Amino acid sequence: MTTTTSTMRPVPVDAFPTLTSSTQAETEKILLEHVSDPDKPPTLHKNLHMQFLVRALAQGLPARYSSQDASQPWLLYWTLQAFSVLQVGLDPGNKQKAIDTLLACQDPEGGFGGGPKQTPHLLPTYAAVCSLAIVGRPGEGGGWDDIDREKMYKFFMSLKQPDGSFLVSKHSEVDVRGIYCLLVVATLLDIITPELVEGTAAFIASCQTYEGGFSSASQPYYTASSVLLDSPRPALGEAHGGYTFCALASWVLLRPFLPSTSTQPTIDKKALVRWLVQMQGIPIELGGFKGRTNKLVDGCYSWWVGGAFGLLESIGVDPSVFGGGPAAGEWEDVDDSLLNRRALQEYVLCAGQHPAGGLRDKPPKSADLYHTLYCLAGLSAAQHKVIPSPMRRQQLVDAWTGEGVLRREVFLEALCFTEEEGTETIVGGAANRVNATHPIFNLTVTHSDAIMGHFYKQTIPPRATRPV
Amino acid sequence: MSPADPPPTPYSERPEWADVVPVAQYEKANPLAPILYTDEYKDATDYLRAIVKSGEKSERVLALTEHVIRLNPAHYSAWQYRYETVLALDWPLDVEMTLMDELADLHLKTYQVWHHRRLLVLRLGLPAAAPELVYIAKILAKDEKNYHTWAHRQWVLSYHNDDALWDGELDFVDVMMNRDVRNNSAWHHRFFVVFQSGVRDGEEDRERVVRRELVYVKQQISLAPNNASAWNYLRGVLEFNKRPFAIVEPFVKLYTVPRAEDSRDIVDVDNPPPGSGAELPCVAALEFLADIHEAEGRIDDAAALWKSLGEEHDTIRKKYWEYRTLQAKNSKATA
Repeated sequence: MTTTTSTMRPVPVDAFPTLTSSTQAETEKILLEHVSDPDKPPTLHKNLHMQFLVRALAQGLPARYSSQDASQPWLLYWTLQAFSVLQVGLDPGNKQKAIDTLLACQDPEGGFGGGPKQTPHLLPTYAAVCSLAIVGRPGEGGGWDDIDREKMYKFFMSLKQPDGSFLVSKHSEVDVRGIYCLLVVATLLDIITPELVEGTAAFIASCQTYEGGFSSASQPYYTASSVLLDSPRPALGEAHGGYTFCALASWVLLRPFLPSTSTQPTIDKKALVRWLVQMQGIPIELGGFKGRTNKLVDGCYSWWVGGAFGLLESIGVDPSVFGGGPAAGEWEDVDDSLLNRRALQEYVLCAGQHPAGGLRDKPPKSADLYHTLYCLAGLSAAQHKVIPSPMRRQQLVDAWTGEGVLRREVFLEALCFTEEEGTETIVGGAANRVNATHPIFNLTVTHSDAIMGHFYKQTIPPRATRPV
Repeated sequence: MSPADPPPTPYSERPEWADVVPVAQYEKANPLAPILYTDEYKDATDYLRAIVKSGEKSERVLALTEHVIRLNPAHYSAWQYRYETVLALDWPLDVEMTLMDELADLHLKTYQVWHHRRLLVLRLGLPAAAPELVYIAKILAKDEKNYHTWAHRQWVLSYHNDDALWDGELDFVDVMMNRDVRNNSAWHHRFFVVFQSGVRDGEEDRERVVRRELVYVKQQISLAPNNASAWNYLRGVLEFNKRPFAIVEPFVKLYTVPRAEDSRDIVDVDNPPPGSGAELPCVAALEFLADIHEAEGRIDDAAALWKSLGEEHDTIRKKYWEYRTLQAKNSKATA
């Protein structure tokens, strides 16, 4: 964005102010002070952010983090994955400490809890398994083989509901975050089955709202004889960035399990794309993303919404197919992304960074681990285009040596992502480059390859391009 | 409890808890990224772990779980154990609900406070539903876009699916909408009530319902034209009911050009003009008109609008408007 402040129009109020327009105006005023100077490209303060993360790991987290005492695997995941995005790995001693801390959260009956001796829950289960993908290794005490996959599967099945959804934990709520977490873990650990995911795609589809994004859940209606009705099946809550990412990523993971009949559930892709692009803020909002219509931009949606664009090719939305079409010559730029990648990077760099290290929702808020990861992951999604590659898929097919057509399909769909050559776009120069992340898992491609290679017992063929 | 209150006596010093051996969180010390708990929090959760281990369900467990929940309302294991204790003791649900009235108000943004309410409302059945709608309205008056609260309201309505409960909902939407016409949660709620939860008595004439909703949303757009929520609702009504966008073309066009000087004199419920403070043209109207052009096969007209959106009115989405243009031209070429 080279726009100067003079051309930055506020969101119109139409001489009809309301609470929404007044909070919007206050936010615009603050963000205007963070517009980048065209003569001074913004810098990613990698060292400051690294120090912020190291402090969390080594010195511990202040008492106000007690509110996340039931999210301890998340605190580790946000920290470890933020390190990965910043191209930093842990030393063996700290890796082992992380593995031991995570394993203390595993429940004897399967799944991981929010801390040691807490009830197992789908969300910390995702955070623990993804953390283990980063720091773990095969063999005793290495974390990977310490995960009880059989009990994990039983734990998942114990949460299954008649409408295809899952409770996040015993006596707890249903929502698509939990389903995303379950599907990622089941995919990584090679325990996903048709039985586990029966009806789940239809549940996800029912959460799409008239706006095009997805809500937290839907309400089932049943006939007197307990048959689930296709309609009504209303969405509970409005379209939301976090739920939309989880629903879309779930949809991608469920594709190998969709029945190939005319009765298969469908989502409205056109409405979804429209909703996603509408969540990007205008220049005065520095091109950051919001999570709902008429809400404020927030750095974490850089990933939840900005990152969701990286899943569109997997569902057949591919802007580049029109590149050779009749109107191709009109556009000066070869970049065919539907989001404004440069603007999103500017938001993260100019508004998302806290001057003392760590990243945040927006100024003048303080930094935290959650926003640090999701701002960095969003920055990564804006810098790199990681897409399913037919060539990579073929390499994996050629190297495959196992049982099960469906199992192979799950493996191929998950690992065929590569960074498209020549599409890297880095605002502020090469020093601002961060690692690419897997668009579904939010792990690096290297970590995704390693853990899935282990559980599917496959030798992963080397990647032709530089590892991401 | 306010921060000024002195911390309560630790469980380890209370005679009535002397029979319980606290359980530390980590058997092996030295976790990575430890939370530096307050003494009070550590003490209370050490005793909670001991209770979960022993399986005790008693009144003192209700007091202990309440204590932990007040310190950390996101402690879902404490909530779960509390719920099981409430059931095991046959604890009066109205007493529990009164406590929840206080806790939900204090911790509005927490998933668990709303889910615990839901479990209680489920057990209390239909008689609890109407008071629950009253309570939810009170919370939404303080926090107008609270996601959990709106989703909870929608659950109460659709779970019971009782005509008497649905009856007041459009009036409730009006109250919220009059407070802030840009509140997208209120718009979603309206769509949920009118279109997504079946057809109720008095709403069987869908022609009339669609007409009513079109009049409603156009009126709201005329008040504050650059309101994405209202335009999304207009799209939703037409798409859900399979009506072509073109049926609102005369209305949409009023918002794509500078305001006509004499528009104040026009009283036309089907085509209410923009108010005097309107900032025109309205980006959402330009997009809408382009969609009408595309659907009617006027691709060049649509492309001209997309070009003006990408180059002038909505530059951040330039790539998207280019994509729409290429897509439309491509499908025309292959048609």
